[in-house]
Amino acid sequence: MGRYLLRRLVESIITLFLATVVVFLGIRALPGDPARTLAGEESDPEAVAEINAAYGFDQPLPVQYVRYLGKAFTGDLGTSPRTGLSVTDAIMHALPVTLELAALAMLVAILIGLSAGVIAAVRRRGPAEWGANSVALLGLSVPNFWLAQMGVLLFAIYFGVLPASGYVPFLDDPVENLRRMIMPAIVLGTGLAALIMRQTRSSMLEALTADYVRTARAKGLLRRQVIVGHALRNSLIVVTTVVGLELGALISGAVVTESIFVLPGFGRLTLDAVFTRDYPMIQGVVLFTATAYIVINLLVDLLYSVIDPRIRVGGAVL
Amino acid sequence: MTRSRARGAGRLLAAATTALALVLTGCGSIDEPQQPQQQSGSDVDSRAVKSGGTLRFALDADPDKLDPTVARTLVGRNVFAAICEKLYDVNDKLEVVPQLASGMPEVSQDGKTVTIKLRTGLKFADGTTMDAAAVKTSLDRHRTLEGSQRKSELASVADVTVAGQDTVTINLKEPFAPLAAILADRAGMIMSPAALSSGKDFGTAPVCVGPFKFASRIAQDRIEVVKDPNYYDAAKVKLDKLVFLAIPDDNTRFNNLRSGDIEVEYDVSVVNVEEAKGVDTMRLIMNDSLGYQGITINLGNVSGVGKDPGTLAAPYAGPLAAEAKVRRALALSIDREALNRSVFRGVYAPACGPISAAAQLSSDAAQACPKHDPAEAKKLLGEAGVTVPFKLSMVIPNSPDNRRIGEAIKSMAAEGGFDIQLEPTEFASALDLTDAGKFQSFQVGWSGRVDPDGNLAPFVTTRGSQNIAGYSNPEVDAWIKEARATQDVDKRRELYGKVVGKLQEDLPLIYLWRQKNILGVSNKVGQVKMYGDGIARFDTAGFVD
Repeated sequence: MGRYLLRRLVESIITLFLATVVVFLGIRALPGDPARTLAGEESDPEAVAEINAAYGFDQPLPVQYVRYLGKAFTGDLGTSPRTGLSVTDAIMHALPVTLELAALAMLVAILIGLSAGVIAAVRRRGPAEWGANSVALLGLSVPNFWLAQMGVLLFAIYFGVLPASGYVPFLDDPVENLRRMIMPAIVLGTGLAALIMRQTRSSMLEALTADYVRTARAKGLLRRQVIVGHALRNSLIVVTTVVGLELGALISGAVVTESIFVLPGFGRLTLDAVFTRDYPMIQGVVLFTATAYIVINLLVDLLYSVIDPRIRVGGAVL
Repeated sequence: MTRSRARGAGRLLAAATTALALVLTGCGSIDEPQQPQQQSGSDVDSRAVKSGGTLRFALDADPDKLDPTVARTLVGRNVFAAICEKLYDVNDKLEVVPQLASGMPEVSQDGKTVTIKLRTGLKFADGTTMDAAAVKTSLDRHRTLEGSQRKSELASVADVTVAGQDTVTINLKEPFAPLAAILADRAGMIMSPAALSSGKDFGTAPVCVGPFKFASRIAQDRIEVVKDPNYYDAAKVKLDKLVFLAIPDDNTRFNNLRSGDIEVEYDVSVVNVEEAKGVDTMRLIMNDSLGYQGITINLGNVSGVGKDPGTLAAPYAGPLAAEAKVRRALALSIDREALNRSVFRGVYAPACGPISAAAQLSSDAAQACPKHDPAEAKKLLGEAGVTVPFKLSMVIPNSPDNRRIGEAIKSMAAEGGFDIQLEPTEFASALDLTDAGKFQSFQVGWSGRVDPDGNLAPFVTTRGSQNIAGYSNPEVDAWIKEARATQDVDKRRELYGKVVGKLQEDLPLIYLWRQKNILGVSNKVGQVKMYGDGIARFDTAGFVD
């Protein structure tokens, strides 16, 4: 286990290093001078040159990269040339928002997806499967932005039961926080719920015909025990993989939901940074996203062994 | 079978949901629409307001640095209006009026010495005194700080001297009449010297004189300002707190206003203006913008903006740059009225020149507008001896709205004998290309300034800082210089009229439309003001009783 963790740690550091190189070079390959973009409509060539000098954008790329990496190692991701705010502070403000949104969306997706998937597998060829499949199809087909707009129209404008947008930190006001996060979480979680439902259903169908399930039934176990304790538990391996992969995608891909519900999360921060060529901000958020992906994947690998004792990380797989 | 059933049911459910959504979205407009209650300024809304409360104001973008010296965005000016007063301001007639100054500037006979007297007893939000020394500190910082966006605005200033506790003297290199108007914008904002010398980045915690003072900022989310007890006229300020929210999407901003999650919406989309007719919980404040939108044509930008113009090479050279007749044909082929109706639902106004009719220095000559005449356009192309359809490329920003505008222009120009190849380009990249002179034509605009000099000098004088057209005409340069040198308003008006006339002959820019400043305001709040400069003011605003 220790050797495995060490190996994964080294791999993670290499991956992160490569991510910084790719992002650093990638954003500089984009057309659009950051200083000119910062100057906006009031561009003055002299001021543009001074901005370039002030933020070191006129330095050779290796110099800029080494300077960035050196600061990043000490936890200093620089300041945004556009707003003058610390990149680290901006990320620290945005991170909890996106993490909460992703966690709630995942909760919604798991609750809907797992239960619908199990029902669809257990009650085959009936209204339950038909209904679950319909929900899955709808969840996969309906775009987030449409669902979000409809949610706002229905619940915020016409019924007035939920706020249209905005964010209140959980610690400031837990009830208001949840009122504002319900709609975004459902919108973001719907597509994933459909995916989980389909994975759960197909895994369950396979498990329900397996020998160990037949044996469990023959031993006289209750139907509920067979389904939950044997079939579902074994099906969770595949589902957990999907959840792990999609959690990273939720964190980095919540931009549409965050924009419509005006949540000051990672997605909006990244999008705006790209449009305004805010190099330090882009580098900062990508570094964080890459780290999140790596950590989550590591956790998922470790979780495998908890769900299925046959799997031992770093050791033999039986 | 099961799968096909499920698919069918899914479609049915989707159709039902769509129908429900259409019914819901249509609800606001199916009912007999009411005319929105529109205000042209602020004084129409004189309902009494009570003290207290937090007003949420949604902007269309996250402002840039809250440092008047380096700030660049229009949305940022809305925040500054609450926290950083200026030596001068504009009123609802767009006249320059004193704000931190006690009177209009006194200009010497030769026009090179400007004396400004200040209000007395003023304090910054940090409690320190606002006096002539503070004014000098701020003006010098605007003029000299590396990266200052105010340098070019104050380029005519030779030095600033303190002529007493409450008097500053500004010595100019040459007479410069637009100075008072320039001091009615960020160049006239006075910052606390104590805050400037504190070692902290001023833009992250700005300290000025204003009805509100800066409290906090979260990137991409909000800026909070609170009532400033040190403000010299604190009694008139009703709101406890003002929250600026960054909501870039037009529909989201509008939905938030409808649902009551914000009280004021900045820059209401023309699409939502129509929809607002069915909503009786809000009103719109609308007035003409000081800016313009149009097409800039590359006439001679060969080595970059701000450099000497020259003769273009392929692929940008050709009759469009060389022949005024071809540019005139292009201008005549675009129906500005139809463009406004089809793309902007008739909300905006056609424009043929850079000076808004609302500006104090506007004139009949400045508002002259050639009529749409595609037949004449074809005739001019024939006289120029070019092949019809005449091909040209036009860079347009790649947003959906700009694409619609580009397609409308392309379709109209086709009637006049043009074949426009649209080049949708991400805005930052478009700025790079056009600054470097790598374009034939570019659909772009300008937010506008109170004094016409700000709409003209950077764009059409030789080597102007924003003269991406590479345009150069000694007559235009001389008239603009003359207009800067005289304090005679009538003379300046006449000179700007002549400049516009010459621009309509040379056509380095084809002006097309003038946007409106549109503020959506909940009926729960009153006494919100917005003048032609497009800046919302909340110094007397509050929740109605």
